[in-house]
Amino acid sequence: MRVLIVEDENRLAENIARSLRESAGYAVDIAADGQEGLFLAESNPYDVVLLDLMLPRLDGQEFLSRIRQSGQHTPVLVLTARDDKESVVALLNTGADDYLTKPFDLGELLARTKALIRRGKGQASPVVAIGDLELNTVNRSVRRAGREITLTAMEYRVLEYLVHRRGAVVSKTELLEHLYDYNWEKFSNVIEVYISGLRRKLDVGSSPPLIRTLRGQGYSLQA
Amino acid sequence: MSKSIKTGLIITVLASQILLAAGLLLTGLYDTQRRLLASLDAGLQAHAMSVAALVRYTEDATGNVYFDDSLLPESLDAGHPDVFVIWAARSGLLVRSSHWPQGLDLPLGGARHWNFTAAGVPYRGLRLEQVPILDREVGPAFAPQTLTIVYAAPTVQMDKQVREAGIFIAGSSLLLLGITAWLALWGIRRGLSPLQQLADQASLVSARHWELHLPAETKEIAELRPLSESMAMMLSRLQRSFAQQREFVGNAAHELKTPVAVLKSTLQSLLHRPRTAEEYRAGLEHSLEDLERLERLLQWMLRLARTEQWAHGALRPDLPVIELSATCEEAVERIRVLAEKHRNHIVLSSNAEVRLRADPEDMQMVWSNLLENAVRYSAEGSPVEFAIARRNGGPAEITVEDHGEGIREEDLPHIFERFYRGDPSRTRATGGFGLGLSIARAVVEAYGGTIRAESTPGKGTRMIVELPVETSPLTPTGN
Repeated sequence: MRVLIVEDENRLAENIARSLRESAGYAVDIAADGQEGLFLAESNPYDVVLLDLMLPRLDGQEFLSRIRQSGQHTPVLVLTARDDKESVVALLNTGADDYLTKPFDLGELLARTKALIRRGKGQASPVVAIGDLELNTVNRSVRRAGREITLTAMEYRVLEYLVHRRGAVVSKTELLEHLYDYNWEKFSNVIEVYISGLRRKLDVGSSPPLIRTLRGQGYSLQA
Repeated sequence: MSKSIKTGLIITVLASQILLAAGLLLTGLYDTQRRLLASLDAGLQAHAMSVAALVRYTEDATGNVYFDDSLLPESLDAGHPDVFVIWAARSGLLVRSSHWPQGLDLPLGGARHWNFTAAGVPYRGLRLEQVPILDREVGPAFAPQTLTIVYAAPTVQMDKQVREAGIFIAGSSLLLLGITAWLALWGIRRGLSPLQQLADQASLVSARHWELHLPAETKEIAELRPLSESMAMMLSRLQRSFAQQREFVGNAAHELKTPVAVLKSTLQSLLHRPRTAEEYRAGLEHSLEDLERLERLLQWMLRLARTEQWAHGALRPDLPVIELSATCEEAVERIRVLAEKHRNHIVLSSNAEVRLRADPEDMQMVWSNLLENAVRYSAEGSPVEFAIARRNGGPAEITVEDHGEGIREEDLPHIFERFYRGDPSRTRATGGFGLGLSIARAVVEAYGGTIRAESTPGKGTRMIVELPVETSPLTPTGN
């Protein structure tokens, strides 16, 4: 999953980013002003945007209405110091999906972010089952036919994304875009390494194979 | 005991009524007595002349006289007989009335009218002398005599009439007194009722409900108009300052949330999993920086609140007289590091020695606020001009001028407002809170000065402070 934080308070943004990376294994990009945020949001497919309201150059409200006008459905969680009813209502009406008032709890921020990502993928429950595969997004555990499977952080992230997009064909590029943040170099063969690792761990002693490769197109996860 | 306008008014009304009644009674009594006395005196005169007419000459040449008591006039008061004595000039005591009180001796000579008491009965007497005898005999050897007559009538009846008149006047006065007292009470109560209504309305005013609905009556009554008008004005002033206070608290809370959010996230993130010593150290250093930022914000807010509080009072005479340029130099020194970082050079110039009565700390804060803004918004490497000038007899003029991006025209009227940020980016990115200029203005105004800004977008900003100067000598410093 890839998250965009638009927040001009640099240290706050860094703290949120660190927490998201460490606790959820998300790829995180940070924009320090609205203009930069808009550029990033338009050029990358984010799974969720965390948006501060008081922003230099382009304020949060404006950012929100611009990305909604351009037809983006990315869930947006607004971080605001104002908690009066009017501004909350205005925010939600502009297209925000949720809001948190400052100062907030990082744990709550994380939980709300995960919930927004799930909803954004049409998945309400934090535990996803596909056939005999069970993925718990809260504690990041994976079971197949009741058997606990231990994955590396990157393998989990690949699997989580495929699970959220189950049935669909996911290209390597899409995976790269959603699993790595802006600063990382992207090598498509890295994905193949993770996929083969996942296959080895998931499909050992179980059938049918869950991840299928569609040559020249990408991967698809289905029971 | 509380003072009451109503009681006071009633007491005043009653006291004046009583005074009036007493005056009426006295003059009434005096007048009645005077009239009765005049009529009594006339009666006495008439009766005295009547008895004088009863003196006749004996029909001989001796010219002796006798008193013919067959035609005695009736007494003036039927209940109390009159008394009289007649002396003839040659014959001596001629007659003494039968009711003449025992032992009463009347000296000859003295006043024409007088009062006396005999045998417990009050009398009014009339003395007539040299009264000619009406009965005239004509003869060659006739020697006429004159009479001295004392005629007195009891005044019992008259005294009774005077007393009755007095009782009548006093009684009717008391009745009128009662009626007017009641009228006064009713009138005062009615007249004061708008005051009560005003009080009732005023008691409904609270921090949530500022409206004062003045009853129509209180607006019409001339005496109440100043009161109700000043109450309305006081309320609107209170409401305004209350609103400002609420806005300030709201803004302050909003402003405090961001540094608290940063601090909280840093600490939570630090605690999320075991860290290396370096990570802990970095986290703690960051926390400390954020805490210092919070502290600075708090200090500024408190200083602003404190300054605004005494800004409305007069200048404090306990403040020392200081040299202005010293506080400017101090402020330049404080900003030096920041200025060097921006490669700005602060040029301080002064054309006069200026003395002020001020807390040097306050002045330094004003200058550092202005200089800090100037440096932050200056183009890198450009100078910041800081000048003290004084024209003849006028106030001191202190200007801080930068050559930076300037202030947008639409922002210029608002830059002294608390927490105002024209472009939200400006101050956040440069570390301000939107409080510096409000504090500067509050302090300058507290010292009886003015502050204003001139700006040309793209060219730079000029802040001009005018302060009243002090002519008394510098206060010697403690050390």
